[in-house]
Formats: sequence, C-alpha cells, structure tokens
Amino acid sequence: MATTSRIVRRRSPVKRALLYLVVVIVCLIFVFPIFWMVTTAFKTRAQAFSWPPLFVWEPTLRNFIDIFIKRQTEIEAITGWELELATGAEIFFYNSIIVTFGSIALALIIGTLAAYSFSRYRPTGTDTLMFFILSTRMLPAIVVAIPIYFFYKALGLYSTHIGLILLYTMFNLPFAVWMMKSFFDEIPKDIEQAAMVDGTTPIKIFYKIALPQVLVGLAATVGFLIINVWNEFLFALLLTERSVRTVPVAIASTRGEVGINWGLIAALETLYVLPAIILIFLLQKYLLRGMTFGTVRGV
Amino acid sequence: MVKVTLKNLTKRYGKIIAVDGLSLEISDRSLTVLLGPTGAGKTTTLKCISGVLAPDEGEILFDDEPVTAIPPWERNVAQFFQTYALYPHLSVYDNIAYPLRERGLSKSEVDRRVKEIAEKLRISYLLDRKDPSTLSGGEMQRVALARTLVREPKVFLLDEPISNLDAKLREEMIYEFKRLCRELQQTVIYATPDYLEALAVGEKIAIIKDGKLIQYGTPQEIYYHPANKFVATFVGSPPINLIEGDLKIEKEGIIFQEGGVTIDLSDIAGDWINRLTGNKAILAIRPEDIHISREKRADSLMAKALVAEPLGHETIVTCKLGENEIRVLVKGFFNVKYGEEVWLKLNKQRIHIIDPKTEEVIL
Repeated sequence: MATTSRIVRRRSPVKRALLYLVVVIVCLIFVFPIFWMVTTAFKTRAQAFSWPPLFVWEPTLRNFIDIFIKRQTEIEAITGWELELATGAEIFFYNSIIVTFGSIALALIIGTLAAYSFSRYRPTGTDTLMFFILSTRMLPAIVVAIPIYFFYKALGLYSTHIGLILLYTMFNLPFAVWMMKSFFDEIPKDIEQAAMVDGTTPIKIFYKIALPQVLVGLAATVGFLIINVWNEFLFALLLTERSVRTVPVAIASTRGEVGINWGLIAALETLYVLPAIILIFLLQKYLLRGMTFGTVRGV
Repeated sequence: MVKVTLKNLTKRYGKIIAVDGLSLEISDRSLTVLLGPTGAGKTTTLKCISGVLAPDEGEILFDDEPVTAIPPWERNVAQFFQTYALYPHLSVYDNIAYPLRERGLSKSEVDRRVKEIAEKLRISYLLDRKDPSTLSGGEMQRVALARTLVREPKVFLLDEPISNLDAKLREEMIYEFKRLCRELQQTVIYATPDYLEALAVGEKIAIIKDGKLIQYGTPQEIYYHPANKFVATFVGSPPINLIEGDLKIEKEGIIFQEGGVTIDLSDIAGDWINRLTGNKAILAIRPEDIHISREKRADSLMAKALVAEPLGHETIVTCKLGENEIRVLVKGFFNVKYGEEVWLKLNKQRIHIIDPKTEEVIL
C-alpha cells in the first residue's frame, strides 16, 4: 500500500488523472452487469423490456414480493406463462444455505485434519497423495456427470440434501486440503515442539496451538469454498428435483412459455448475490492472502 | 534433577549426520554447556533429549532409566528454543503460564510462579502484552526463558538462551542466569556457539563438532589442555598462535625451526616426541603466554611489531616473527610503532605441540 501511494504521488497530475480514468472504466465494465441486474429487479416487466432502456423510473418492489408470495393465478392471468417460482422461492434459498453450509462444514473439518496430517506427519507418499487429491479437480465436471447421476439414483442420494452436501464436500476437499496445508506449513515446527515439551499431547497441539495460528487461512478457505458451492449449477441441476433445488437452478428454471420475466429473475439474483457480496466484502483481505499465499513460496 | 546419559546417540537427516555416535554423561544438578560451531549438532542433541526428535540410534537415560520411548509430553523436561517458539496467539502472561496450566497447577499457584519468574528475569512490565510478536528480540528471548524456567522439570535444556541480546544485557544475563541456575539446583544443559559464554556459564563443557564429541571437561581443562587443534583454536580470543615448523632432535636438545626462527624446546622435552608422526610440528601458544618487551633479554626472540589494539585493561599487539604473525596480549596499554623491533619471550611451560597430521595436541 505504502509503496503504491508513493509511486502515484510521484506521477504528474495528468498521468494520475489518466490512471484513475482507466481504473474507473475497468470498474464500470465489471460493475455494469450487477448494476443492470439490480435496477432490473426494481422494474416491471414492461419497463425491463422498454427501448431505449429506462434510467429513470418509479421503482417497484413487485418482483421481490412475487418471488415469495404465491400469486399463481394473477401472474398467469397477466403473463400467460407457467411459473416455476409460484410456490415461493424461500425453499430454494433454504436449500442453497443448507447445502452450502453443510458441505463447507464437512470439507473444512475433513480438509483441515487431512492438511494438518500431511503437513506435520508427512505420511509415506505425501507428495503423490497430494497430487492425487488435486487430480480429482483436473477432470471437467461434465465428464463425471452421467456416472454420478446413476450412482446417486442407485444409492438413493438423488435429490437429497445429504447427496448434494456429500458431492460438494468432495469437490471442495482438494481445495481445502491444499490451502490449509500451505497455512499449516508456515507454522514454525519449533512452536509445536515447544508445546510438546510443555506437556501438550498431539491432539491438543492441533486445536490449542496449530489451529489458532491458521485462523486467517481458515477464513480465506471458507471464502473460497462458499463461492464454489453457492454458485454451483451443473450438479444442482442434474441431481435435484424441486424440493432440493438450489437458487441458481431455480433462476434458470424461471422460464415461461411466452417469454422470460426478467424482473423476477433479476430480483431473485439480487437477493442471491447479496450474501456473497457481503461475505466477500468482509473476507476480502483474507481472500487476497489466500490467493497469493502460494505464489512466493512455491507449493 | 536427574543425571542424563547419552549412549551412542545418532541422528540423521537423510544423508546428513547431525549427531554421530555421541556419548556423554551429565551429572545431576550440574550446569553443562554444549559448545560447538553452528551446525555441530547441538540443537539436534537437545531435541533428542527432550524427545521432540527421535534418535536413529543410541539411547538416552535419565538416572540410568531409558527414556527414549517416552514421548516429550510425558518426559518432563523444559526446553528453551533458539527460535524462542513463543505461542503467537497467547499473551506474554499466558505464554509463561502455559506449561504450568498444561500440568494442571492451580490458578493461584500458576499466578504466583509466573509473577515470580517474571520478576527474576525483569519482564514483569511485559506480562500484560497481548501479542508476543511485537516484543523486541531481547524481550522475546527473556519471555521464552521465563516460560522454560518457570517449571520444575527433570532437566532444563537451553538452546542459545542469551545469544541475541546486546552485549551489555548479555553480560548481565550471564551472571543472572548462572545465579538463577545455582539457586534452582537443577540439571541444566546449555548449548552455545560462543566459547566466552561457555567458559563463563559452564561447570563442564562438552565440545561438539560435526555431531561428534571432541572434548569434555571443566572450563579450565578445555582452556589449558585442549584435546586437538580444533579445540585450541576454537576456544580463546585473540586466538591461539600456531606456528608450523620443523622439529629437530639433536645432541644439544630439541630445536623448533621455522622461517629463520629457532626455538629451543629442550626444557619441555618429554615422551610427546615419540608420539609425533613426522618431523613437522605445530607450536601453539596463547597470546597471554608471550611476554613482550623493547629490550633484549635472555632466551627471547626478535620480532617486528605491526599494530597494537588497546582494549583498556589489555592490548593486543600483532608482531611478525619470522614469516608468522603472532598475537601477544599485554596488560594495560602498550603502544608500538609500525616495524618497531620488539623481543618476545615464550612461557615454555604453556607451549602446546600439535601433530600436523593427526591434529592431536600431544603436549
């Protein structure tokens, strides 16, 4: 930070202005879709489709109400299309939250323990095993989609919360193990050895000494895992029916016969993106650390 | 308070042998220093004794009971780590209290002992500090020392406990530390690469190099009777003077010759001559065992003075004797002009002879 500001200060005002202009343009490019999404959420169907696009209008909360409150007949009467959202969207939010937090809790518990073992006890073949864990992420998800579908049908996991939780746990584990191992690797061995000599048994060393020192890393890992699961679409679509459907799938299913109610979709998206934005805002310094942790040290 | 015995202790890291067949007996309530250069295996030895490292070979005994199979958390030793290894998430107070709490001492007892040791190490003012990483190096070191000394273990293991202090504080700490150790009446094993610290602190000194025990003795034995060239040069400052030359045994006596300088060693003739493997020898003499004067006296050697470094209570004078640079320690001040003629008289009773091939001190 200090270095950057020093460099900026040394630049001439013209150069500085240009620099800011570029930054503003880049930001606009990234922010515009979100801006459009949020504004559309407050527009009626007609307003959403109006050309030229409306920048000044009377905002309506109608879309947000329609998401949650059943007004099937009314909407059908107006639009003429069958609406998947008709029974209320709270079930999808509920599903997303259950699946996200369930799978993250599992991935964190298993991943952190595994990472600690790999970092501290280095079982025979650690490097091979670590690569093996990572290799499960090298396959495009679509390749395993069909086998997993049949697998889930056979095991009775199809369209269950636990099924999705297990699947996401599996997807997130490599990430959790690799990230957490890097953070554990950074703890000097002497600190844990000191704790041993001071009379602490290995299990207690894990949660009394090692874990408190990787809390920042844990926060970064949580951030990444939440983003992974919260936005997952393919398997949620493939493996769920209505009762277990998550929000991303629900959004995609909001199709009618005569067209798409963009206002409704935008409202749903806005609500869905909100927690993610708040979370990233809260965790941003940890996320940055999580993204840069390996770049200086190698693996 | 135990006797510690190391039997043929060996520890390897891959192909590197850190400790190589080290055998040592450390008596109960003694203050023993492991002295050796960086990488000699001191830290590894201490870590094997505390149990955080498992030796590849050999045995460790406390009071003749093998402890090699006992895990560190049950071995009841206290160790000071060279890296301090303070618990970064605990306050200074909690760091020092940690080993006591782990042993289930009552709250009031923990509080009493933490405050007592903090008082002794003069860190009471630090006890409330939340984040130990914000302390200075010297403060961290004393907090770590407090965490080690707060306990009553079977043996204290201290790995360079005062190496990072500034000179003045260090001098004070050596005294404080030695007093504290005598008060505690505990078995203490202390590692340092600094021979001055070793001489000042240790009741016995074990000199270690390349994981092997080179010499084990009192500070006096180490200083006056070094076992080999390494010990002779490692201990002492300014370092011992070494002159390599030819040894001639003639009718008149034993003559040491080098670069035009002849030293008569007849006075100290002995059976060491038979132990010499060739006709070359290294003559070793400490700077304080050479007397320097401006007047020629009997049995003295002419040399050219180069520089004098006054230290206050003494002066180091470097002279050229033949082809060799010789350092002489003189009490008080002794000014020389560059190239000035001086006369050196060696205290022959203090001369050591080193065999150049085996590097053993044979006299």
